[in-house]
Amino acid sequence: MRPFALEMADTPAAATNYATQSAGTYLAGGTVLLDLMKLDVIEPQTLVDINALADTYGAIEADDDGITLGALVRMAEAERHPAIRRDYPVIRDALWQAASPQLRNMASLGGNVLQRTRCSYFRDVSWPECNKRAPGSGCAAIGGNNRRLAVLGVSDHCIASYPGDFANALVALGAEVGLRSADGSERRVPFEDLHRLPGDTPEMETNLVPGELITAFHVPAGPWTRRSLYRKVRDRTSYDFALASAVVALHLEDGVVAAARIGLGGVAATPWRAHEAEAALTGRPLDEAAAEHAAEAAFAGAVTHGGNDFKPELGRRTLVRALLEAAAMEVLP
Amino acid sequence: MDIVLTINGRPHHLSVEPRVVLLDALRDRIGLTGTKKGCDQGQCGACTVLIDGQRVLSCFVLAATVTGEITTIEGLAPEGGPLHPMQQAFIEQDALQCGYCTPGQILSAIACVHEGHAGSAEEVREYMSGNLCRCAAYPNIVQAVLQAAPQMDATAGPTSAETV
Amino acid sequence: MTIQGPIRPQPFSRIGKPTPRIDGAAKVTGRALYPSDESVPHAAHAFLVTSPIARGRVAGFDLGDARAVPGFLDFLCHENVGGQAKPPKQMAGGETTTTMESDRIWHDGQIIGVVLADSFEAAREAAFKVRIQTEAEPPSATFGSAGTTEEQREDEQKEDFAVGDAEMALAAAPVMLDAWYETPTQHHNAIELFTTTCAWNGRQLTIWEPSQFVYGLRGNVAQQLGIEPADIRVVSKFVGGAFGSKGGATARTAWIAIAARRLGRPVKLVATRDQGFTIATYRAETRHHLRLGANGEGRLTAVSHEGWEVTSRPSFYNVSGTETTARMYAAPNILTRVAVVHADRNTPGFMRAPPEQPYMFPLECAMDELAARLGIDPIELRRRNEPARDPVTGLAFSGRHLMTCFDRGAAEFGWNRRNAQPASMRDGDWLVGLGCAASTYTANIAASTARVTLRPDGQAQVRLAGHDIGTGAYTVVAITAADRLGLPVGQVTVEMGDTEYPPAALAAGSSHTASITHAVVRACDALLAQIATAATASNAGAFAGREPATLSLRDGHLVAPDDSSESLADAVGRISAGAVEAYAENVPDGMPADAIGKLYQGQLPILRGQKRVDMTAYSFGAQFVEVRIHARTREIRVPRMLGAFSAGTILNPTTARSQLMGGMIWGLGSALLEKTEIDQRAARYTNDNIAEYHIAVNADVRRVDVMMLPEPDGAVNPLGIKGIGELGIVGVNAAVANAVFHATGQRVRRLPIRIEDLL
Repeated sequence: MRPFALEMADTPAAATNYATQSAGTYLAGGTVLLDLMKLDVIEPQTLVDINALADTYGAIEADDDGITLGALVRMAEAERHPAIRRDYPVIRDALWQAASPQLRNMASLGGNVLQRTRCSYFRDVSWPECNKRAPGSGCAAIGGNNRRLAVLGVSDHCIASYPGDFANALVALGAEVGLRSADGSERRVPFEDLHRLPGDTPEMETNLVPGELITAFHVPAGPWTRRSLYRKVRDRTSYDFALASAVVALHLEDGVVAAARIGLGGVAATPWRAHEAEAALTGRPLDEAAAEHAAEAAFAGAVTHGGNDFKPELGRRTLVRALLEAAAMEVLP
Repeated sequence: MDIVLTINGRPHHLSVEPRVVLLDALRDRIGLTGTKKGCDQGQCGACTVLIDGQRVLSCFVLAATVTGEITTIEGLAPEGGPLHPMQQAFIEQDALQCGYCTPGQILSAIACVHEGHAGSAEEVREYMSGNLCRCAAYPNIVQAVLQAAPQMDATAGPTSAETV
Repeated sequence: MTIQGPIRPQPFSRIGKPTPRIDGAAKVTGRALYPSDESVPHAAHAFLVTSPIARGRVAGFDLGDARAVPGFLDFLCHENVGGQAKPPKQMAGGETTTTMESDRIWHDGQIIGVVLADSFEAAREAAFKVRIQTEAEPPSATFGSAGTTEEQREDEQKEDFAVGDAEMALAAAPVMLDAWYETPTQHHNAIELFTTTCAWNGRQLTIWEPSQFVYGLRGNVAQQLGIEPADIRVVSKFVGGAFGSKGGATARTAWIAIAARRLGRPVKLVATRDQGFTIATYRAETRHHLRLGANGEGRLTAVSHEGWEVTSRPSFYNVSGTETTARMYAAPNILTRVAVVHADRNTPGFMRAPPEQPYMFPLECAMDELAARLGIDPIELRRRNEPARDPVTGLAFSGRHLMTCFDRGAAEFGWNRRNAQPASMRDGDWLVGLGCAASTYTANIAASTARVTLRPDGQAQVRLAGHDIGTGAYTVVAITAADRLGLPVGQVTVEMGDTEYPPAALAAGSSHTASITHAVVRACDALLAQIATAATASNAGAFAGREPATLSLRDGHLVAPDDSSESLADAVGRISAGAVEAYAENVPDGMPADAIGKLYQGQLPILRGQKRVDMTAYSFGAQFVEVRIHARTREIRVPRMLGAFSAGTILNPTTARSQLMGGMIWGLGSALLEKTEIDQRAARYTNDNIAEYHIAVNADVRRVDVMMLPEPDGAVNPLGIKGIGELGIVGVNAAVANAVFHATGQRVRRLPIRIEDLL
């Protein structure tokens, strides 16, 4: 870990000022940042500790329009929140199946959605080739060990997978992310627009402008949120990244899908919303054939690289399972 | 940076670079070596400590950013005094072998109980999965947590303040 | 004083009663000091610089940026210290890869430099800033890689067998099973990292390093540095998991010692988790060609087991588990062969059940496959092939209760509820499979020594350079001494893990309990002899003039067969107001007389159960596993495991159960989770961390039942101890694979079995 300056921000304005004037990187839970700094993958000059902003950005507020989660809410806090447990079970499921209890106590929601890939070739700096870490250097993962890497949204320049869980629920549920810029202005953008596909610039992972601070996530209410779940398939029973995961939220009317919200994890370059699968389901009775049809649509664009050849099939099966389980859920009216 | 860490109820004054993590501060600067380094990458749980009663990984905490009260394994029982019920349960259930992950397991287990995640063996298994035990004492660890949980309800310790 | 000769039977043994670990309190309070916990004032910090390529040469280092780091002290590499140490001698496999002795790069992650700085943070930063220039050559990663070389292994410690004519018998066999199997690279990944702290005091070097063999480490570092073993002290009071990885000396120790000498101050190294994958040993990947010939009743006519193992370029390290698989079943024709494949890799080494874990996998899967082919229950198939004597040598087994293990285990496990038809059992969305396999491990014992003191107040102390790597060795030593001295366990203190104490053997190969307890018993008996002799030679007291050999120690008294007694205060106080002391050596029958001398030099005099001339000595077990596989997404979960073991005397059921259980969970991990991934192009490990090298977590483990069947085996050694450290792991991988086959009808012959294998 290289030396850095540590600034303590006690107001949002101070935070964004430090971030812009000192090219600072925000430090909340530290579980991603310090990890990558210890590996020498990133070398921030300045860390801006924003944990003191929890008074401003640390609340969970639920109303008829939906639920707003402050960016400095810890994953474990959100997992325990009664409104989330009752009305947004998919968020609860995505949280408690992520990482470990210690990490969930530390990690902020804002930091969690910015979790970096677990691609070995990104994380080990002794690999010269990584377009994400060293733009233009190539991609060692293509042709390398890529069992855990992505099959959706990838490019010839990068096949890194987004490893998180919670963000897949946000993207599927059509959440918005609140942002505060250095000049103090605030904006809300669709969460789906937060992350960028790798394309030929895999080093650019988000559309955040320098110094911009994530303040909150707003998840809109909808008739599908209570019939929602997160199905995570992984090698270990716990404390493991998804090989494939599926977010499913359904609005069923007499067994027919009135609306579906579907997200995929472990298989894509970014938090992934499966619009094609949603469209394939809408208006159909939710049975196994419909679920399989939707799963085919979800993975129609999959590109594999040897080690991850199994992922489209596992991803389809995971989604089918999640759809059928969601349809069978007993749901509060 | 000059900082003050409150550890096991006592203030410790030290001067550290910003990059010093709590784990290394505890072990190398303060001499509290009960907190173990098993990976230094947030993967094993051996460095678990409590901050204001919450279990966290001290390898991922910059010492200079800590404002809360830190509890380490050395702070659970007074020297020569009775053991914390969780410590006692770990001995009685033989919930350890080499003992290296044990301090982290015990602190994590105490938090697990206070969080309300010790309701069943299945729940304990899930909520103790952030602490790897290579000797694989897992079934005994689960039994220890289940044994200590009701005793802890009766004895409110310094770490029982659950902050949600 | 050395007393050889028979160890007396102990008429009032309390051995076998569950006893909590005597070091438990130290471990649950954080007071147990592992080597990197030792306070060594003013220590400089070391950070290793490792090779970014797998084959070639170091062309040079650019240290400009590194030297500029505040706190930077020194940089060691082949250019400035390469001539100051020889490579450590390997316990097996001959030559090994070198490190900083030259510019040669043998493998990725090889130590090529050591940065020294005032703080850990500065050392790490400076190491990041060392720019390494290399001349790279294309490396060979593993089996099938271009540039590897294969040879039949030549190893005076290992044998191939050709009993009868296996090829002819296979050709003639009514039923033949012919299959290939693979096991992966695995790393020990003890939670404690590889650490070394060195401090010099004049000519005296102290090394704090977690070790399974402190005298071995001392002897090895002495030969590396060209100094006397007596000038080195190795301290390793507690070891945070070892599993074979801390048995032999690794290169790092000598370099840290040299660093401390150059700086004139202590140096502390805590290697990183990823460095641990390449600066120590590992379990190499293996391939197997297994052929079984059988008649229609399932009686084996031939067993042929050929194995291939990866090793480094210079080493012929191999585990050759064929020495065990050849002895497992009663086949009249046996053929075994083992080849090593040299690649650009670090040298492998011992890892829990080194031979049996990979080699019993193919045999026990093949037996299951044969059973399915013949429509015979797999337990019954093994019963029909149970040998009366060692099929290779014709020697008697020292005790072989494999079928008792199967029968008792099967009853407890509910094996009779298994529908033999594959893919026939289901619980909702989950396919259910039940599988079993045999376990076995050689009963080994090594020469050892111990020193015991006893005070008039009844406090005893045992000192020996043994090792508690989590096995409960401190506790079994205390139990043994307490039993022999007639004291409560709480009155015995045990000190180990320090070359200041008399030597004990390597804590590995399931040999340590047998090795050290025999020495402790001899020391206690020598102590008793002193006390009894003094009591009987005395002109006064209850025992004046009696025969010393009739006296024993019980309940804090010296007692005679007629129950007349004398307190320890009198019996010990007669000799000394301080303490009576005895030192003893135990050389197991069948070992050369110079064993103790070798032990003091740091060599390992061990008697292996399959190398004995009087008998073949193994422990046995039966492994049962239930798997549940999701019908759609194919996650494999293990709700239930049961192991029934026959392993001679169990000194402490509490710690023995934990150790066997831990072994079984290792087996679970080896079946379903553990695999070190290797990038074929770079011969580099890509999951060199414990987030992606998967060891089991708590939630992976549900019910684990351990049955320890009583087995008095007075033949194997006087105390009847056969060892349990490895027995728990062996066969579990096959039992899981067999259960997966039973659940799905899919036979997976490559470990670990993963979701994608079943899609």
